[in-house]
Amino acid sequence: MLAASKTYRTALFNAMNSALANHAHTVIIGQGVTDHKGIFGTTTGLADKYGRHRVIETPLAEESIAGVCVGAALNGLYPINTHIRADFSLLAFNQIINLAAKYKYMFGGLFEVPMLLRLVIGRSWGQGAQHSQSLQSLFAHIPGLTVIMPSTPESIEASYDWAVSRHCGPVISLEHRLMYELAFVDGGWGSHRGTTPFSSRLVREGKDVTIVATSIMVLEAMRAAEFLANHGVDCEVIDLHCISHPDKDLILRSLKRTGRLLVADTSWPAFGVAAEICRLVAETDPRLLARPAVTLGMQPASCPTAKALEDLFYPDLAQLVEAIVRLTRGENAGIPLPDHRSMTDFYKAFKGPF
Amino acid sequence: MRLLGKGRAGSTPLKSRMLQDRDKLEMHGVVNATTRFESLFRECLRIRLVEEKIIELYPSDRIQSPVHLSIGQEAIAVGTCETLRRTDLIFATYRSHAFYLAKGGDLKRMFAELYGRVDGLAKGKAGSMHLAAPDVGMMGSSAVVGTNLPHAAGAALAARNRGTDQVMVCAFGDGATEQGVYHETLNFVSLMQLPVILLCENNGLAVHASQQERQSYNIAAHARCYGIETTVLDEGYDLMRVADTMGSLIGATRGDRKPRFIEIKTFRYKEHVGPGDDYDAGYRSRADLQAWQAHDALVQDRALAERLRPELEREIAAAVAFAEASPLPGRAELLSDVI
Repeated sequence: MLAASKTYRTALFNAMNSALANHAHTVIIGQGVTDHKGIFGTTTGLADKYGRHRVIETPLAEESIAGVCVGAALNGLYPINTHIRADFSLLAFNQIINLAAKYKYMFGGLFEVPMLLRLVIGRSWGQGAQHSQSLQSLFAHIPGLTVIMPSTPESIEASYDWAVSRHCGPVISLEHRLMYELAFVDGGWGSHRGTTPFSSRLVREGKDVTIVATSIMVLEAMRAAEFLANHGVDCEVIDLHCISHPDKDLILRSLKRTGRLLVADTSWPAFGVAAEICRLVAETDPRLLARPAVTLGMQPASCPTAKALEDLFYPDLAQLVEAIVRLTRGENAGIPLPDHRSMTDFYKAFKGPF
Repeated sequence: MRLLGKGRAGSTPLKSRMLQDRDKLEMHGVVNATTRFESLFRECLRIRLVEEKIIELYPSDRIQSPVHLSIGQEAIAVGTCETLRRTDLIFATYRSHAFYLAKGGDLKRMFAELYGRVDGLAKGKAGSMHLAAPDVGMMGSSAVVGTNLPHAAGAALAARNRGTDQVMVCAFGDGATEQGVYHETLNFVSLMQLPVILLCENNGLAVHASQQERQSYNIAAHARCYGIETTVLDEGYDLMRVADTMGSLIGATRGDRKPRFIEIKTFRYKEHVGPGDDYDAGYRSRADLQAWQAHDALVQDRALAERLRPELEREIAAAVAFAEASPLPGRAELLSDVI
């Protein structure tokens, strides 16, 4: 029997629709939320269904709109603020970091600012330096913010429902554009769930290496794991998901079994998620590592536009497999590598299901 | 508001005569005006005495927070808050002792906050720059200029969606009008027609820089470009005029749910931050101060001030004692209220 499949985009739409249907004080606010494209189809038709007072088109004014969301939250609304490119949220850093993140603490708990910011990582081909960035570590650095990177439709629906109905503070979710059209069986990783929808989760058990991955790199890690399973390498994969509050114990327990760590993030390794996971291990028990940790992310440059350069800028499946092989079997292990093919090409053509 | 309590009526011939006089005067609106003035004056004096107490205490280092004093600007806060209801929300700045107190914030908890004590309104995490009292609609004060503007807009959006009759007030200085978010917010509140009063306290200074050094535009003319009804009041020292003007603007916005803008000229008596004067620094003269003080009721009406002072000083002394008796916050407070 064929299991039902669902795309990441459909899950996003469902999450937006449910937030409006189930919570009278929810508003969706951002550039393009009412237009015919509706944030890549995730808000399409919702303005007609719920009214333009609840699905609110905005001026090109990211800072004030983030501030409007803070003020609206302080007076009883639940705002969902969209950024069709994560890069645009940099204009709102003042409100997000100086105000939203601090409003509870700075006033000794007198206020709460429950809100959700949806940031789309615009990566596909040719998006260049200002339309493709993965900014999770900048936000996760700031106390007061909860930063998530859902990697499956199940995670989208559960996490957004949790944000709207249960979480009391500002949540920043980074969605990956390349995943929008991917269909997943059973919503994602089957029964592998965390303690709460925001928790990190173990999505594949294995004994040779612990791969801690974020967002679309979880999918890449799963592909690498499937490939290597045929060559006797057994990968454990952890979907980090909650960037700001990773499940440290889950990672350490895994490392106790595997002794090998590879961190695969969508962003730059330096000062980022990869660096942070290494810090956790180094500070807790570096003896857990039988081999030095390996990190995989973007090259240390701005994202180039030309495809020839972009393909070199992002890691591909072959590089990931190669890194895992070297970490688990050393050099010249005799395991063949998959063809070098950019992730973008693969996911553009890929029809799933996962 | 009435200081002549009705319970006193008729007990002696003298009091009867006073009441008769008052009734006669009330018919002409005079006694009400007098008692209303005295009430507003008292609130202004209370704020000034609080800040003078801060100045007195400051050298002792018991107040462990930078202070931006409102002295000279009290009439704006008091005149605004007279009409605001408890459920109306005000978003203020780092120079907001006056707004906090005028909106009804607790004085004891304010002093405890300045002292960095656990009974402070924010358990010592806020200090002087982040006063708040949500139970009376004082929704916080930001130390980054202009950042509170969109908060008032957002709160007004929430009032619209939730169908409340609240009016929002955003207080900001002339410096805030130079920020990009200021333009964004004026555009937004006008576009959405939101019930916000944008209240510009124009003291002519951003830290030590004059308006002429900073602005290529006229604040009110610029605000009018957004189609927002705009008022300018030059006499920010005139308590009754401020209160009347703010009263009518707030009333109008409560009724028609439209944004309004008001620029009130005022005067910062003290240095930008800290308890002192800095008229010797060269960026303004003491003569400017004296010209303003010539209109300042708190300075001019000494008899009234002296009559009201003892009771206010007792209240302030009790608040200081409360702060001094409060324990210091510790590890439990350090990591609470983060998420």
